[in-house]
Amino acid sequence: MYNGVSFFTVECEVGFMCGIEGRGLLLLMMNLQQVMPPKSTANGFGRRRGEREGGTRLESKSQSGKSNSGRVTTTGSVIGSKSGSCAVSSHDKLLYLASCLIGLSVEVQVKGGSVYAGIFHATSDEKDFGVILKMARLIKDGNFRGQKTVAEFVSKPPSKNFIIPSSELVQVIAKDVAVTRDGFANELQSDKQRELMIDSLISQTRHVEERELEPWIPDEDVPQLPELENIFDDPWNSKKWDQFETNETLFGVKTTFNEELYTTKLLRGPQTEELEKEAARIAREIAGEDTQDLHLAEERGSSIHENLGIDEETRFSSVYRGTGFDDSGYEEDEDIVLNTHNNETFGDSSGSVDQISTDFAIAKSSDGGQLSSSSFIVDEAQTSQSDGTGADLYCSEIPSRNFSTLDSESRVQENLLGECGGNNDAKDFVEKQPLPEDAQLPKSGDSQSSPNREKAGTIKVGRSANATPYSTSHVLSKGNEKTSSHGEPVDVAASCKAPGEPQSVNSRGRPGSSASSNSDRAAATSASSGPGLSPSSSMGSLSSEKSTLNPYAKEFKLNPNAKSFTPSQASARPLSPVADNAFYHPPNVSAVPHMHGLPVGFGMGPSLAAQQPVIYPQIAPMQSPQTYYHPHGPQYGQQMLVGQSRPVFYLPNYQPVSNSHHLKVLKCLTKDEIISWLIGLEHLCGGSALLTERNPERLLGIIFWEGSSAVHEIAIKPGSKKVLRDLSSSWDMIL
Amino acid sequence: MEGQVGGSGEEFAVGCLLSIKTTLGDEFDGQVMAFDRFTNMLVIQEGLKSGPRRNIRLLNANYIKDFSFLGQADDPLDPKKCFLDLSRLQAREHLAVRQAEADAQRIGVGVTTEAQNIFDALSKTLPVRWDKTVIVVMNEVRVSSPYLPESVSGGTAAANERVKKVLEFERKRLQARGSSQG
Repeated sequence: MYNGVSFFTVECEVGFMCGIEGRGLLLLMMNLQQVMPPKSTANGFGRRRGEREGGTRLESKSQSGKSNSGRVTTTGSVIGSKSGSCAVSSHDKLLYLASCLIGLSVEVQVKGGSVYAGIFHATSDEKDFGVILKMARLIKDGNFRGQKTVAEFVSKPPSKNFIIPSSELVQVIAKDVAVTRDGFANELQSDKQRELMIDSLISQTRHVEERELEPWIPDEDVPQLPELENIFDDPWNSKKWDQFETNETLFGVKTTFNEELYTTKLLRGPQTEELEKEAARIAREIAGEDTQDLHLAEERGSSIHENLGIDEETRFSSVYRGTGFDDSGYEEDEDIVLNTHNNETFGDSSGSVDQISTDFAIAKSSDGGQLSSSSFIVDEAQTSQSDGTGADLYCSEIPSRNFSTLDSESRVQENLLGECGGNNDAKDFVEKQPLPEDAQLPKSGDSQSSPNREKAGTIKVGRSANATPYSTSHVLSKGNEKTSSHGEPVDVAASCKAPGEPQSVNSRGRPGSSASSNSDRAAATSASSGPGLSPSSSMGSLSSEKSTLNPYAKEFKLNPNAKSFTPSQASARPLSPVADNAFYHPPNVSAVPHMHGLPVGFGMGPSLAAQQPVIYPQIAPMQSPQTYYHPHGPQYGQQMLVGQSRPVFYLPNYQPVSNSHHLKVLKCLTKDEIISWLIGLEHLCGGSALLTERNPERLLGIIFWEGSSAVHEIAIKPGSKKVLRDLSSSWDMIL
Repeated sequence: MEGQVGGSGEEFAVGCLLSIKTTLGDEFDGQVMAFDRFTNMLVIQEGLKSGPRRNIRLLNANYIKDFSFLGQADDPLDPKKCFLDLSRLQAREHLAVRQAEADAQRIGVGVTTEAQNIFDALSKTLPVRWDKTVIVVMNEVRVSSPYLPESVSGGTAAANERVKKVLEFERKRLQARGSSQG
């Protein structure tokens, strides 16, 4: 009898505890606080009114004023256990089972028929069996017999502690209770599995439960139609199949597609051919660069991984497991890449490992900072991985904190340059030539360049600094551990991959819709300033934005033995620090025009089916170039410089398009969020989005719309609310 | 009724398969896991076979109206496999409580179903919480009963507008859905 207070609603502090000892036998010691009007709560536990079982399990019963925390005693004594010889008394079993319920959501039926649902908290170990629930709510009201009162009208919040005395308790129903060891293991496992495996989770977690992957084997009864698979293999095929024509023929649907709506209009003029050649050259260069990034390498056709025992998943998976990744593969990669580069670029003269070490040394000496994480080069190639998101993300962790801002700067510039519009037809990569010079590294470049001029090393160094942010980061991100241990060398390696490989880039031409890699040039702002990114790097990149690119960095004399690269006139040097800076300041819209200017120059003519980068002289209003291929773009430090000069070059003629490229009030905190945002956009606008990260600070996105002929590069600064730059004038329209 | 049902322990021997009817109308079959005479609690494992996870009932034997003996089997609980990890249990409980509290936040107390539906709809795209019967959006805009666009107040003009729009939209959608279902 409780003083007229409904014990259902009294909430008191309950000093329960379940003390359980992890053994077969258990003892629960609990004191059920008297359910009495308010006052009793404060003081500890009143004795339970029930009689105590004489001397049985209850041992310390009154703990005054404090919760009984689990005095656990083993129940040795069996109270009249009917189980006879069994050491476990029935009461113990009851207690054990009740304990198994702790924390589970249960339903308790009480005498009146009402049912309460809540979290099982405790039970009483006295003669009577009462129960305490937490966060209990009425789910079935006994007053409305037989009716499910799923409260239409929630009349009161759940009770924090809800006590059901034994006299009221009818039954406790619990589902899916684990009572034995098997069950426990089972439960733990299913808890873990519930976590969604998002990319960032995979890349940042050391231990990820991996599934055993099985190769897919097509069904046998599926008709094999090889011609379907080959139909678009030829990257130069675009003339043969015109989707618009086909549609019109088949369905009488006339297209209103106008490429120029989506990208800068390419101006064709007297210098078209020249520009095209230049663009193609740069494309080749870029595509031929070495990269540490597996995916990029794959893209470019470099087969550096064949011997490395890298499994398929690593090769093609989009999630870079930075911390948990197996570093060994990369090291080998680097070496191999280095060697390859050396050989290719400089003939065999530099093919030796010595070279590499030299490079390393140089890299080291240049002191770290050079290498910024721009993933330009890498990205370029990369972007085209049309399905991209994954692959591009690869470089998300861009640790190149160690790298100087310089690179990032240059990279940024390149990016900027590279941004205009990109174009998915940028198969121009194909033509890329190896670009040995990498003097672009402004500071480091200079210092290092000289000694290395003749050697691939220089290039490498320089390059590494700027280059392949992706690869660098990739490598680096393998936990900064790698970075730290290898420091520059890693970068060097990355950069080494440099100029040289004019691999069959051509063949790699990105299939139609892939974004032009150029677009990647733009400094990617990696949204993820996640754990993988060290703050310093971000600092680095940020500061790089402010620092000026060394305008003189471009001086690089190519080793005559190397594949020749002659800086074209167009590849001027970066304009001036000021100009450069303009590029770097994300919020600085004025940078955009510059960029646009550049791309125009390099864009591909609209009619260019092939992916020849076209370099246009500055011609009056540059409107969105279709192809945004920045041959001189950002890829290489030096190229960057070159690129930079371009904008200036064209600037006067350029009519800035954009005003509002600060679109999107978007707060992207992580790369994944940006990705999802871009993906969301793609659905909205009918394009596909690729993301690449050029450096930890900025994430570059490329979006294709409609006939995939327009590429929009955006740079997003994580944590900020704007898109730093949209390289395509049609962005506004789309958004 | 207060007496021991069945009186003898045999009927509730561990391992028995029983079919039970309670005084409140529940009927179920299960296997006896434990029976404590002193508290008169019967622990039954539902279903006739054991697995890693089981549905368990703790029934006060006083409320057994009727039961029938279906058979006898072994003890479903193997003492060798039984152990309790207190920390895990407590952790589980804490987690459950936290989740329940979070859920409780989302339910308005003393609000109509319609209001709750509106709240749920708004919560899909906006951060919302209840303040008694007022929906507080983005911590600045308040939507009170009857939750019409007119009832939106507070916040900056932009936020206010936005909430109004979303509210209108959601209402329309709920109506459309309601009418299609009704």
